[in-house]
Amino acid sequence: MSAESDMEYSDNDGDDYDYYGEQDDCDMETVDRSKSDPEFFLYSCLKVEEVEKLLNESIELLSNSLQITPSLAKVMLHAYGWNAQEIINKYRENANEVLVYSRVKPRLPVGQANSSRTNCAVCANTPLLHKYSALACGHYFCNDCWAMHFEVQIMQGVSNTIQCMAQDCEVRAPEDFVLSHVTKPTLRERYQQFMFKDHVKSHPQLRFCPGPNCQWIFQAWTREGARRVECRGCELLTCFSCGAPHHAPTDCATIRRWLTKCADDSETANYISAHTKDCPKCQICIEKNGGCNHMQCGACRHDFCWVCSGDWKTHGSEYYECSRYKEDPNLANDSQHAQAREALKKYLHYYERWENHARSLKLEEQTLASLKSRINQKVMAGEGTWIDWQYLWDAARLLKRCRYTLQYTYPYAYYMEVGPRKELFEYQQAQLEAEIENLSWKVERAETTDRGDLENQMDIAEKRRTTLLKDFLEFNTNNASSSTKV
Amino acid sequence: MANIAAQRIRREIKEVMKNEETAGASIKLELIDNRWTELKGEIGGPPDTPYQGGTFILEIKVPETYPFNPPKIRFLTKIWHPNVSSVTGAICLDILKDQWAAALTLRTVLLSIQALLAAAEPNDPQDAVVAKQYREDPHMFEMTAIHWTNVYAGGPTPVFEFNQKVRVLTEIGVNEQVARVALSTYHWDIERATEEIFSIYP
Repeated sequence: MSAESDMEYSDNDGDDYDYYGEQDDCDMETVDRSKSDPEFFLYSCLKVEEVEKLLNESIELLSNSLQITPSLAKVMLHAYGWNAQEIINKYRENANEVLVYSRVKPRLPVGQANSSRTNCAVCANTPLLHKYSALACGHYFCNDCWAMHFEVQIMQGVSNTIQCMAQDCEVRAPEDFVLSHVTKPTLRERYQQFMFKDHVKSHPQLRFCPGPNCQWIFQAWTREGARRVECRGCELLTCFSCGAPHHAPTDCATIRRWLTKCADDSETANYISAHTKDCPKCQICIEKNGGCNHMQCGACRHDFCWVCSGDWKTHGSEYYECSRYKEDPNLANDSQHAQAREALKKYLHYYERWENHARSLKLEEQTLASLKSRINQKVMAGEGTWIDWQYLWDAARLLKRCRYTLQYTYPYAYYMEVGPRKELFEYQQAQLEAEIENLSWKVERAETTDRGDLENQMDIAEKRRTTLLKDFLEFNTNNASSSTKV
Repeated sequence: MANIAAQRIRREIKEVMKNEETAGASIKLELIDNRWTELKGEIGGPPDTPYQGGTFILEIKVPETYPFNPPKIRFLTKIWHPNVSSVTGAICLDILKDQWAAALTLRTVLLSIQALLAAAEPNDPQDAVVAKQYREDPHMFEMTAIHWTNVYAGGPTPVFEFNQKVRVLTEIGVNEQVARVALSTYHWDIERATEEIFSIYP
């Protein structure tokens, strides 16, 4: 029985629509996912073979309707972003233009004088007449040179875009021409692998899962805004639009800016912010060496919060006020130096929280692993069946996802302009953070008897998360530019 | 593979020599070792340019996969040009990179480099300092290029004012090359060049 329960868990892991617990759906009486989940995005997660089939359908469609070889169809599809219908329409209007644009034919017809068949311009040899070949441009070279040219190009990772060897000739070598000259099996295989990768990359509906050694490929139909796709293989969350890790509610341009900024600024700032802080009362430099956020200055005995440096006494009821960034009202009067300092302070405020949640997320990963063994132990010891413990597993997964969203709210807030909308955002962010901390606490200490309480907490946390996303993600995708400043 | 490379180089040297006789074109090609992997190129500065009358030596390294990969070429003679590094002699030219075609020859490449001397591409610079001067102060650029051609490439036109400024700095113990680069960079303003030199070499 225990072996069976193990299997049930791993089956559950792979479900790509299991974004958050099944229980929520039951409560809502099977509502349309696109309404209940503000991040809902229609996509599929395909295996290599499925993608090959999909690509072949386009290739066949094109080669049948235009009566051309599949390998020419590939060159054209690659050039036109895999829009077979567009190619067919344009081809009927002006076939020559399509062929020139996809670099199947040369822009200008090549005169006979340019294409000697008695002397190979590349190797300076004079092989027998029948040993020459040329692409549509009519630049003849000997077959040995073609073979060598393809070998060098393939070894450099070029596949779809291998060109003719003549000077200023942009005509591309189609697959059948390349393969008729390349004989080494390893090289042929390599070429075909590169071709496939290149095809997926040039296809607007496809994106490789960026996970290490992951073979899955996403298919979706739009490339704008933060679009969550989850890999069936490695469970990595990716943004379909930009290929970065999924980043709702922040949009693609903003997250790119934020990540670049972090990469540029964080080396020094990182150390200062991660390891030291001045006592807010006596300004002595304090290094945090672990423990909780309630600090007591060794010099002046002042009690303060490590996160916001505020007096600890005020932290009783409104602890999570410290997730809110307060712009200094006197800023305008200060010197340039002070403004720069303030800018750094603002950046550090968001960066610290961003980093902190990234770290917590990694720890959450460990919690999941230990939870699995804890559940197995309990089941083995006869304390309930796996069904009884399933909820805890769901809670941990939900927690991970909530934290993920929370992490990505910080870059969003950093680039937001001060105003009522930012206040609303930070209010919701604070609420979400508080509920996540509550849930985190409960998950780590859960026993079977706590089930109702825990599920209640799960529901609250998830509601906070979806509310925030609903209010800001849609806004985000509709008018991305108006909410952020440069 | 190396076989094709050797064959090609042998033929290309012949080709250059033949053309040299007939057209009297100002390019030369010489073998350095007998393994066909390293050559010395020579181009004359094109007429009606600051490089006129100068002779520029190039280092040519032939990869084993030649002609399927481009040769590696750089200036050994120092030159003041937006697309050539004034420090290393590296050249920014499309046919030496992604626009290389196996049917190109060393002769065509040398001719292209010669053409580059006549028509710089300041929007695709190799040396940002030179390119900036080329765009913002064309006269200063031209004088500097003439000066460099005279000093390093045997050009016929000395620029006395610049020679004198270099001498001022060498007389106080600055390396001649360091002095010339600093002066060229700072538009021959002795004070700023001196400042620059002594902030780097204290």
